[in-house]
Amino acid sequence: MLHSRHMTRPEMPTNARAAAIEALERAVGAAHVLHAPEDLIVYEYDATIDRALPDAVVFPATAEEVAAVVRAANAHDLPVVPRGSGTGLSGGAVPVKGGVVVVLTRMNRIVEVDAANRIAVVEPGVINLALQETLAPLGLTWAPDPSSQRICTIGGNVANNSGGPHTLAHGSTVNHVLGLEVVLADGRIVHLGGRVADAPGVDLRGLVVGSEGTLGIVTQATLRLVPTPRAVRTMLAIFDTIDAACEAVSAIIRGGVIPVALEMLDQEIIRAVEPRIHAGFPLDAGAVLLIEIEGLAEAVAVEAEAVIEACRASGAREVRSADTQSERDRLWEGRKSGIGAIGAVTPAFYILDGVVPRTLLPVVMRRILARSAEYGFRCANIFHAGDGNLHPNILFDPQESGAIQRVLDLGGEIMRICVDAGGSITGEHGIGLEKRSYMEWIFTPADLAAMADVRSAFDDAGRFNPCKVLPGGHGCATGHADEVARHLATPGVYI
Amino acid sequence: MTATDDHLMTTDARLAALRHAVPSDTERSPHAYSIDGVEPAVAFSPAHAQEIAALLRAADEAGLVVVPQGGRTALNLGRPLERHDVALDTHGLARIVEYVPDDLTLTVEAGIHLDALQQTLGEHGQYLPIDPPPDDGVSIGGLLATARSGAWRGHLPAARDLLLGAVVALPSGELAGSGGRVVKNVSGYDLHRLHTGALGAFGVIVQASFKVAPLPTATRTLAVRAQTLAEAGVLALRLWNAGLAVRALSVLAPEAAERAGLDGTPTVLVELAGLDVAVDRSAEIVREAARALSRSAEEPAGAPWERLRRLHGDRAATVVRLGVPATAVAEAVEAVRAAGCRSWGHIASGAVIGHAPHLDAAVVERLRAFAAERGGFVQVEAGSRALRAAADPFGPHEVDLVRLLKVRFDARGTLNRGRWMEGV
Ligand SMILES: Cc1cc2nc3c(=O)[nH]c(=O)nc-3n(C[C@H](O)[C@H](O)[C@H](O)COP(=O)(O)OP(=O)(O)OC[C@H]3O[C@@H](n4cnc5c(N)ncnc54)[C@H](O)[C@@H]3O)c2cc1C
Repeated sequence: MLHSRHMTRPEMPTNARAAAIEALERAVGAAHVLHAPEDLIVYEYDATIDRALPDAVVFPATAEEVAAVVRAANAHDLPVVPRGSGTGLSGGAVPVKGGVVVVLTRMNRIVEVDAANRIAVVEPGVINLALQETLAPLGLTWAPDPSSQRICTIGGNVANNSGGPHTLAHGSTVNHVLGLEVVLADGRIVHLGGRVADAPGVDLRGLVVGSEGTLGIVTQATLRLVPTPRAVRTMLAIFDTIDAACEAVSAIIRGGVIPVALEMLDQEIIRAVEPRIHAGFPLDAGAVLLIEIEGLAEAVAVEAEAVIEACRASGAREVRSADTQSERDRLWEGRKSGIGAIGAVTPAFYILDGVVPRTLLPVVMRRILARSAEYGFRCANIFHAGDGNLHPNILFDPQESGAIQRVLDLGGEIMRICVDAGGSITGEHGIGLEKRSYMEWIFTPADLAAMADVRSAFDDAGRFNPCKVLPGGHGCATGHADEVARHLATPGVYI
Repeated sequence: MTATDDHLMTTDARLAALRHAVPSDTERSPHAYSIDGVEPAVAFSPAHAQEIAALLRAADEAGLVVVPQGGRTALNLGRPLERHDVALDTHGLARIVEYVPDDLTLTVEAGIHLDALQQTLGEHGQYLPIDPPPDDGVSIGGLLATARSGAWRGHLPAARDLLLGAVVALPSGELAGSGGRVVKNVSGYDLHRLHTGALGAFGVIVQASFKVAPLPTATRTLAVRAQTLAEAGVLALRLWNAGLAVRALSVLAPEAAERAGLDGTPTVLVELAGLDVAVDRSAEIVREAARALSRSAEEPAGAPWERLRRLHGDRAATVVRLGVPATAVAEAVEAVRAAGCRSWGHIASGAVIGHAPHLDAAVVERLRAFAAERGGFVQVEAGSRALRAAADPFGPHEVDLVRLLKVRFDARGTLNRGRWMEGV
């Protein structure tokens, strides 16, 4: 999405590299190891800005093979970077220090669906949508529904604690993972959590979910499923301004009816999406809210009334209800294609992920739009408004000199606006590589030291996904983000 | 100070070092703080998080074992403590730090009691949607440290899933936070999840942020008497799949039903919650489902849920909690009953509770084998010191990582030593 920035690092000596590759080939079979430069290039990036070449890429088929890869990496002192589909938006799967990228996509079996108990057991390479398609005829879903669900893996969802529109009602991925099989940095295979919620013992499952591949490699996940709802009402509230739409979000939450999804698309997005998808978003609207309510039919009707009332009171021009399944699907298609559609209207864009208290949504959006205008960038917004989870997308032309630097500057400022509002620097995309430098804005040195202790308890050598999540780290490349972070730091402002 | 110096210090010198570290007006008489009949040498009730951190650091340096206690409702959960030198009473930390009703978010100090908190939230039409045992005096810190939940779990989130962030005092004397105050956040490691259910093994929770929920406008409880537990199980599973506006759905063995103030028969007890229309419609569905089995659904008198919660939280009895998949709940209720317990189970969470005056370790192990065959587990939630020494209260879990974490956070075993396992 954004043009690349290469991270450089010292080359490995040729004979050491050859020995390491031989060991990896023993672990997974020569057919499942890539090491030619032209093959490695494909694995140097994810969906963000930074790039770095791995020394080798392996495709294990079992947990035992993953463990063997980890042991080989230990023996040859190579970093290990797990990878699903590479759709991550924080540089999490980029092998900053080289080493072995462990691609989990061959482990793509749905091992078991126990519909009566609402449990599924899957391998990490299963694609989110493939699981949903298996579950749908059984009247079940796995709640996490990131917009990238057509391509992202369950392993990636677990590692990033991913969210989606329905996170508002159901919570992030961590609420939907009962147990994990994990390969640790010492090559041990352990089982955390179980098949039933609230297993005794320290909740290591909850710690590993969201750890972005730094604490362990997930080789199997036991998932908690939810039944598909009896009745669903999907509505489209149309506003003249994004400001009014933000006010409506605050009013809905304040009113005590919490929809299962409450998504915002602004005019930039509508104009990118509508000509392609024909979802029914009016081209002249300042913003629309996509609102979904589910439950018993009787209750859905009453709650819909409350939501419509809150929208009207905040100045909605119109509130439409989708009457048929196909209308509903089209609205959601419009939402889920939003990010992709931006690509068609700009040479490049940079997606941000911040969170603010929902009551502050209107003022924060005003600040972000004003700042973007001052920089001279267009800013397109499509986000999980009900959770206060913003996704400003900065549109720009990478051919323009200095554009990337200025985009990063503005990105940093927008993050800073979120933090100053009492919010967070990521609601679902993770810290990865990209936001490490901002961690010091929201955590004290003592907070970060405690996190570093956890990491060293799991992986003393720091072999798993180095230079991710926590700031600093020996030999971790410092990019422009570090300068932005330092420049915008306000001592003493921590949440 | 090294471990060798530690041996040389007299008890008096250690206590003096501790007293030096915290304000004298926070010291309490140790008599009120015994656990398993063991009285601590000293007790403190600090009023600020920094005082707790300072106390932990001083105790750590002096080689004293600290046992944090809030509502003192779950102190016989876990193995018997190896030592109990210092009681740390968290009552002094009971402030609401920030409550923004319009954001449905809340930050509190850990010593505040759940019932007091619910009252404040209730004034704004909101609540923290969790119902842990026992029904009185649960502090927020204790609630998180034990991660216990009640009948609502599975229909509503567990405490760990409502927790947005926390601040924890560490034996190093540091205050370390994680998460934040917004409802969605994936920045950094979720250390607050690590501390939830850790029984204070790694630190003392001093502050916590939650997502709260609007109170349901209506609630209604219905009870259906069944012929057998198996029949109750069938009905309960049907109701679980009926899309009800439901907050609790439980199967009760006859003895538990009686203690809940109901007739002494196998019973399905359901609590509906939501909008009036949703509760009305759900009640119709429950009645129809009961009728299909030639049974009837009645609104019971009394307060069956409160009584069950009290039974679950009974400190004087032996209480076990099994976790099994939903379809095994009725069968597990029967097995726990056959083991001599009053038993009942919650369909959505798979939690099956057994309450007995006393249980043998062998019985606990038998139930553990029963649960394990079904992919589940057993936790001893309360019991005599002897039982908790003889039967592992938790059963098998990943111990190596827990030890490694313990070494990082509490290398000298200052906190709750022995509660999880030897040295931890
Ligand atoms: C168009 C688009 C829309 C998106 N929409 C959303 C959205 O709505 N919500 C959202 O939350 N995210 C969204 N994302 C981000 C991304 O899709 C998610 O983070 C997703 O979960 C990543 O899955 P992946 O398989 O691509 O993981 P990757 O990108 O391959 O990896 C992501 C991270 O997980 C680690 N990892 C991967 N697999 C494992 C494993 N098995 N064990 C341990 N660690 C592992 C990697 O090391 C890396 O740190 C979007 C991305 C795009 C491109």
